[in-house]
Amino acid sequence: MNAPGSQPPVVPDDRPELGETGNDPLVLLELIQRLKVRDVMTPDLVTLPRAASMQQAQELMRQKKISGVPVEENGRFFGLVSIDDIIRALVAGTIHESCGRHMTTKLVVLEDDMPLSFALRYFDRYHYGRFPVLNRDRRLVGIICQRDINRALLVELTRELQRLESASVQRGGEGAAGSLYLLREFPICKYDFENAGKAANQIKQVLQEKQFASKVIRRIAVAAYELEINLCVHSDGGVLSWQVSSGRAEVIARDAGPGIEDVEWACRDGTSTANEWIRSLGFGAGMGLVNVRRVSDEFEIASKKGSGTTVKAVIYIEGGAA
Amino acid sequence: MTLGTLIGACGWEAVQVPDLNAEATGAYTSDLLSDVMAHGPEGAVLITVQNHTNTVAVCTLVGAPAILVVRNSEIPDDMREAAAREGIALLRTKDDQFNASLKMGRALAAGKQG
Amino acid sequence: MTMSEVAEVLQAEVLVKGDGLLRRVGHVMASDLMSDVLLVDEEDMLLLTSLASDQVLRTAQIVGAVGVVVVNGKPLPSSMVNVANDLHMTLATSRLSKYDACVAVHAARHPL
Repeated sequence: MNAPGSQPPVVPDDRPELGETGNDPLVLLELIQRLKVRDVMTPDLVTLPRAASMQQAQELMRQKKISGVPVEENGRFFGLVSIDDIIRALVAGTIHESCGRHMTTKLVVLEDDMPLSFALRYFDRYHYGRFPVLNRDRRLVGIICQRDINRALLVELTRELQRLESASVQRGGEGAAGSLYLLREFPICKYDFENAGKAANQIKQVLQEKQFASKVIRRIAVAAYELEINLCVHSDGGVLSWQVSSGRAEVIARDAGPGIEDVEWACRDGTSTANEWIRSLGFGAGMGLVNVRRVSDEFEIASKKGSGTTVKAVIYIEGGAA
Repeated sequence: MTLGTLIGACGWEAVQVPDLNAEATGAYTSDLLSDVMAHGPEGAVLITVQNHTNTVAVCTLVGAPAILVVRNSEIPDDMREAAAREGIALLRTKDDQFNASLKMGRALAAGKQG
Repeated sequence: MTMSEVAEVLQAEVLVKGDGLLRRVGHVMASDLMSDVLLVDEEDMLLLTSLASDQVLRTAQIVGAVGVVVVNGKPLPSSMVNVANDLHMTLATSRLSKYDACVAVHAARHPL
């Protein structure tokens, strides 16, 4: 979502902690940066010494249903016998010879305290099925393969989801049944015209899937779109978030700058600080905030020149103007 | 068809018309000034919501005799001054671009027949 | 009148069929200012526009438009076709000017 050369958005400190944002791609990103290879790898290793035969390696692979056997002695790592190595040995008739002789030694290894994001890059680059994992002392401590990563992410994501669900029950003071809770955040980058409006489109799609009343959907979508474009065109970048709970939809736009000097003026019909080239793209007619107010049941804006702006639009889902 | 006849036929507000006998040979509907510059035919009335001095400048370039401002948009003073300087008529209607185009189309077609 | 009939009347090339091709057109809007499009409360709208940008499609989706026709024979950036596909938005281009398109659509809806 970043335009080339642009900085990721800086948001004010009171935004929710990452991890409270539900099934947002940011959560995944944060997870793969937070998790280390050692959190994800298989630590209980089955290994063989160099003197063991290739046939022993083959037996081990079959019994333990693994696709590679590390070759080590007292923690000192020498290489890996892979299925390919076995097949080659079978074809060449060297299956009774030692692992030390026929193992793969040209290996890429990972370190146990590397972030998972690093490991993913290695998987992507080298197309190996697995990587041995060494610790700081170059001792073999585990092995990591794609399956380990998938499993770990699934476990962590489930944990996140459970945390969210219990948090929502506490926050609303209502039972989980009967109170719909949706929450999503979108980072919006300055002048990212390629993506401008995409978040609002996604919000609308979700609203349609959840089958809210069409007039309500329209109003939420318009508020989200206008606020998103404002963030893109007028701010230094920020976050568009929306949530639905207890019969209300809230769309909130937060940025860290440049701030609005005259909030009254900004909320007036036809006033805009947009320059010529922004207008040539079709934006900047100055109707944004006016329109947001028009479609909302509640509208709040707070801003200070030189610091950030927060705009909140609330649309009632039941009981408000349809 | 003269501007005077057109105004009479469509009921446009004559905000500022220096010459009621100026000829209009067609109409062009656009809010993108770059587009008007590229495609605006000479002699066509520009139907637009864009109420800026730039609109006047573009009309001078393409040879449009008048601007029909739609949706009852306010016409700022600097736009009026620019139009007066360039001899371009300013008309206004509460219709939107679509309906204004239809009315213009009917009037111009009738004019051709008559 | 359906979007597909509109395309015929405007001699338009349909680039993306979307969900709207066979839907009936209600209100017609001929504007290049997306901010104005966002002010309209009509459903089933046909948008005639000279603006060839992704935002046209995104705005059209927000307001529940039935389809978009880009006029003046403007060549569309390839991103527009992708966005229209993502949003299932009917997208066509016509060589007619917006003015001529308005007249043509109206004439087809109200034959003499």
